[in-house]
Amino acid sequence: MNEVLLVDSVLLFLVTVCAVAIIEVRSLYAVAMLTSVYSLLMALVWTNMHSMDVAFTEAAVGGGISTILLIGTLVHTRRDEKPAKKRVHVPALLVTLLTGGALIYGTFDMPRFGDPEATIHHYRVPEMMSQTVAFVSEREGKQAPPEGYEPPPRMVPTAAPPHGHDAAHGDEAEHAAEGADHGAEGEHHEDGGHHKHPADDFNGHVPNSVTSLLAAYRGFDTMFETTVIFTAGMALILLLRRPREEESTPQEGATLRGQVILRVMTKIFIPFILVFGFYVITHGEIGPGGGFQGGVILATAFILYALIYGRNALYRIISPKTLDVLAAVGVLLYAGVGVACLALGGKFLDYAVLDKVSPGDGEALGMTLVEYGVGITVCTVMIIIFNQLAEEPAKAKAS
Amino acid sequence: MSELLGIYNYWIYVVLMMIGFYGVIAKKNLIKQAIALGLFQTGIFLFYISMAVVDGGTAPIWTTIGDGSIKALGPYDNPLPHVLILTAIVVSVSVLAVALAIIINIKWKYGTIEYDEIAAMDRASGGGDDD
Repeated sequence: MNEVLLVDSVLLFLVTVCAVAIIEVRSLYAVAMLTSVYSLLMALVWTNMHSMDVAFTEAAVGGGISTILLIGTLVHTRRDEKPAKKRVHVPALLVTLLTGGALIYGTFDMPRFGDPEATIHHYRVPEMMSQTVAFVSEREGKQAPPEGYEPPPRMVPTAAPPHGHDAAHGDEAEHAAEGADHGAEGEHHEDGGHHKHPADDFNGHVPNSVTSLLAAYRGFDTMFETTVIFTAGMALILLLRRPREEESTPQEGATLRGQVILRVMTKIFIPFILVFGFYVITHGEIGPGGGFQGGVILATAFILYALIYGRNALYRIISPKTLDVLAAVGVLLYAGVGVACLALGGKFLDYAVLDKVSPGDGEALGMTLVEYGVGITVCTVMIIIFNQLAEEPAKAKAS
Repeated sequence: MSELLGIYNYWIYVVLMMIGFYGVIAKKNLIKQAIALGLFQTGIFLFYISMAVVDGGTAPIWTTIGDGSIKALGPYDNPLPHVLILTAIVVSVSVLAVALAIIINIKWKYGTIEYDEIAAMDRASGGGDDD
């Protein structure tokens, strides 16, 4: 039996139990903690399915940030759900059973779990994986496919023994090894980007396919996802920020400063969290990670500080105004990279033209800048959201 | 048996989605509803990531071989669903945050976050469009 599936079945059973508990438990604090457990279990599920980047995000977002947000909200609202009159809501149960039945019926047509022949692995994905979309679409400003270039074999992502080591692939691998002698000082993306040969193309790009797809093939999508996050931050400010005159007398809520263990442990942890966050952002192209994950991890350091030392202490480090500006700067940096590509004669977010600025690793440069943009926006927006939800209830606001 | 195991993940995705769906319909507490919506979302995430798995595959990150060059050793899981879900998770926390902010505003205005009480107040004050 598939070993992925073995671990998977146990974890997913726990996840399901957790989900039922989340719906049924009435104490909302308990629910907040259960969602944290649920997310950590989910992160394990993602890891088990080799989706490292998603696991990172889920652990940081679900296990960390959203739990804090929920608890921050519970401070303002009631702690318990009102008991329902009936234990089971019959119409809802009927609707869900019907919908669920229809969906389960649909799953019988799904390809088997892990089937390498499933359609999803073939349409366009091999080209994306080998980062040769440029050749396939033959756009302007890019070189035509070099002589002897062959379209990637059908299953580049799984170009493994079971699926045949066909000629084109063996060739590529050979050249990849050959091309390694120039600039193989451990900096992987230094050699290449020139499209001398498909093998170089293969060798000079970013190793983490998730990041390369995120920033290049789905660059527009990612840019607007970042905009969505930015918009959410702005929405929080509009919904919850108090008028300026009230802001001038910030109330210091109860802090945990008096707790020696928490205070000392926070001071010890924060540098490590920050270093790890920066590592995740900067190494997004080489290993698992990137702007989204790193941004959230960085934000947790600031939020932890604010939780223990109070938000006024946080504002002394980084003022609300700076946060607002930085959130916009991140999105602008992303869009700016796109505009820079336009200015250099390419298309929007066509990182290849950045080779003119930084010969050899234009793509890596573009993607790194974009990741920084995403990281800055995600980090600051998460802090903004936390700050807004942690505002003291404005009693004067009752209309 | 292996046929059924092959779609086990898809069943769990349906179950998670339906638990969330039930919560959205049946629960009157607005915070519970927001969380249930999150459960619904994770069901969909599970669906996408499950589709990405390839037998014997590993994380879609090319391997650094001995001499420092990078090589696709494969087989790899499909990275495209990972990309989609990675951004979706961060967007989902933004959605949750906006929902919670709106809930806090409702609490300030109505003094409760139970949907039926809010509806009753709206009816009492005539139509609910008193703003």
